[in-house]
Amino acid sequence: MKNAMKRERKGQPLATDVNPTWCPGCPDHMIFESARRAVLSLMKQGYKRENFAMVSGIGCHGKIFDYLNLSGIYGLHGRAIPTAIGMKIGNPNLKVIAFTGDGDTYSEGMEHFIHACRFNPNMTLLVNDNQSFSLTTGQATPTSQQGWKTKTEPLGDFNKPLNPLMLALSAGATFVARCNARDIEHTQKIIEEAVKHNGFSYVEIIQDCLIFNPEALKRDKMIYKLTDKKRTFDEAMNLAKEFDYNLKDGKIPIGIFYKTERKTLEEEWPQLNNLIKKNISWKDLKK
Amino acid sequence: MVMLNILVGGRAGQGINKVSEIISNVLIKYGYYVFNYRDYPSIIRGGHNFNVLSISDKLIGSHESKVDFVLALDKNTVDVHKNDLKKGGAVITSDEFSKFGLNANVALSAALIKILGIDKKVLFDEVKKEIKDSGSLDAAEAGYNSQTIKFNLKKLNNNAKILDGNTAVAVGARNSKIDIYFSYPMTPTTNCLQELASNQIEDNLLAFQPEGEISAVNMALGASFAGAKVMVGTSGGGFDLMVEALSLQGMSEIPLVVYLGSRGGPSTGLPTYTMQGDLDDALRAGHGEFPRIVIAPGSPAECIEKTNEAFYLSEKFGALSIVLSDKHLAESEFSYDSKINTPLKVQVKRNVPGEKGFVAKASSYEHDEYGLSTEDAKITKENADNRMKKYSEIQKECKKFEMIKIHGKKDSKNLIIGWGSTKGAILDAIEGQDYKFLQVLYMKPLSDEIKKEMLKAKKIILVENNLTGQLGKIIREKTGLKIENRILKYDGRPFTSDELKEKLEEIK
Repeated sequence: MKNAMKRERKGQPLATDVNPTWCPGCPDHMIFESARRAVLSLMKQGYKRENFAMVSGIGCHGKIFDYLNLSGIYGLHGRAIPTAIGMKIGNPNLKVIAFTGDGDTYSEGMEHFIHACRFNPNMTLLVNDNQSFSLTTGQATPTSQQGWKTKTEPLGDFNKPLNPLMLALSAGATFVARCNARDIEHTQKIIEEAVKHNGFSYVEIIQDCLIFNPEALKRDKMIYKLTDKKRTFDEAMNLAKEFDYNLKDGKIPIGIFYKTERKTLEEEWPQLNNLIKKNISWKDLKK
Repeated sequence: MVMLNILVGGRAGQGINKVSEIISNVLIKYGYYVFNYRDYPSIIRGGHNFNVLSISDKLIGSHESKVDFVLALDKNTVDVHKNDLKKGGAVITSDEFSKFGLNANVALSAALIKILGIDKKVLFDEVKKEIKDSGSLDAAEAGYNSQTIKFNLKKLNNNAKILDGNTAVAVGARNSKIDIYFSYPMTPTTNCLQELASNQIEDNLLAFQPEGEISAVNMALGASFAGAKVMVGTSGGGFDLMVEALSLQGMSEIPLVVYLGSRGGPSTGLPTYTMQGDLDDALRAGHGEFPRIVIAPGSPAECIEKTNEAFYLSEKFGALSIVLSDKHLAESEFSYDSKINTPLKVQVKRNVPGEKGFVAKASSYEHDEYGLSTEDAKITKENADNRMKKYSEIQKECKKFEMIKIHGKKDSKNLIIGWGSTKGAILDAIEGQDYKFLQVLYMKPLSDEIKKEMLKAKKIILVENNLTGQLGKIIREKTGLKIENRILKYDGRPFTSDELKEKLEEIK
């Protein structure tokens, strides 16, 4: 494995020289830019670049692995979360960000999402939710609007969409937020807050798929920003209920819904605490 | 040769393992060798469990189908096993010891110790050490006094230790300085997880039980990428869940060691019984073409050494190593007195995240040398060729290790070929007879010596604990030689040495 630092794009720190293949205008470009700016900003605040590591799943979102120049693993569909938790257990001093999609996290990898909320590893999960499987040319995911007709479900998707924020809250996530992919500044800010959070931080990023689920485009006027106020669990739950992913009506709050402190997975394990205290990884541990 | 076989039976929860343990430990202290086979259904309380404890003054690795004593903790044991007694054999029940409650099993062990003619003090030391309950000594006293000496076992000078396959794999992992073991509980490898978890703080390692096997293996790859030495442990069903990630290992070249303990399949099959049915699975599982190493130890001592080799090879080549065992090897208790090879040093020399100025990228996609995705035809072909080249290097390196072992009469023209847990029964069955036994330890790569040995033999007999003779098939694939004589057993039970001896005679 050669040092990918040599593939840094000139004049654009943290970007590789690989040209993105996302569709023109796809919000994935914007999510990439938000994430890149968030890491750059965190580096200015004292975080070290080499301590960031990323994992991505498989889907349109996953392409960010080739564009964002951070160490990491381009993992399997649905399995970015366990890969990321493994990285944290393998070196608890890393700041790990898992980039995933709605098919990835809410469909194939749902079990890992729930257990990650329970385990509370100190890492960040971003879910690019375009409410469709797009790299496989447009099928319904668990957050797609009910009744959506696709080539594989010509009778329409019978199921009510899942509300992933309510699920994360009830499963024990300690940081739950939502952003709008096209609001780069706000998304950057939320990602920074998520990375700084001591515990499992989950950020749902609503994004449009311009090609396969254009029905999901008409919601800008429904979106509003939450204030920074600290909320109880019940208040957060009620806010999460405001948008049911069926798109027709309701408000879509974005911002940090809920933030609380609980012992992290790393803090529970004395072995990992020891590595954190000494600021070393297993590799450097003398045995 | 086995001298005595003692069957200990009862309901799950009555403590039959304690009986075997007390008798084993006492006999080991007295200079003898033991082998303990455990037969139990998938039941926590009740049912019928039994162990067959075999004793010898020489190293043994199996039990026999007929027994000298039945130690019965319930009536069912007598009913089920009275026909397993040899002529002149005896049944000892715990009826008269019922007043000792849960210590009835101690009394039963003590009764047998007296029959064997072993000094009471050795027994009492053992009971004091193993059982803190104050009633245990009274039970031992009563049990000991209830019998008369029938054998006068002389004290011998051997100094064996007792070990099961699961613990031995854990020892091999610790010898390799394992950092993290990821495992979801599944018979028959759960005890390896328990063993590694039991002393994890002092041992400077971490035993993690995630939400499932898919998670276990993906976590392991994440942790390994971050620089930790890792292993996952499972059985057939869990292994199948891990398969997609094995393929990810092949593409990303992140070192990974898998401990696979097979049991009776297909599917849930016989969860607590044994079968060598997963060799094909271990050799082929995973889509696409990529190198791997599959090693099948045949005894606990080999479990220690071969697990260490698996770690060494995985780390050196960024490869997948599978240590293949089965319920019989994983959960039976063997005595051994061989010296274990000095462990190979397993060093992580790779670039890992956290190094200043370095960006390390590993990918499930076909990728260039920087870890960035590519669909380029030329790079795709080069990478595939490199994976093959890596396998050639692995083959070369493996030659430094014992890929096969030759046992028995070295100049015999009768060649038995087998692998894994059948080793014990084969060795005991051919003792003093005109057989050579070729034990295959490296299932992939396969040793070139196998063909040479086969060409020297007049009669070749394949012994496997499965339906289709899976090792025989891979030998044929590699050498073009078909083994005509096959002794295959696939009823979930391991071979006993007397049964195997008879089958061998039939072929002769």
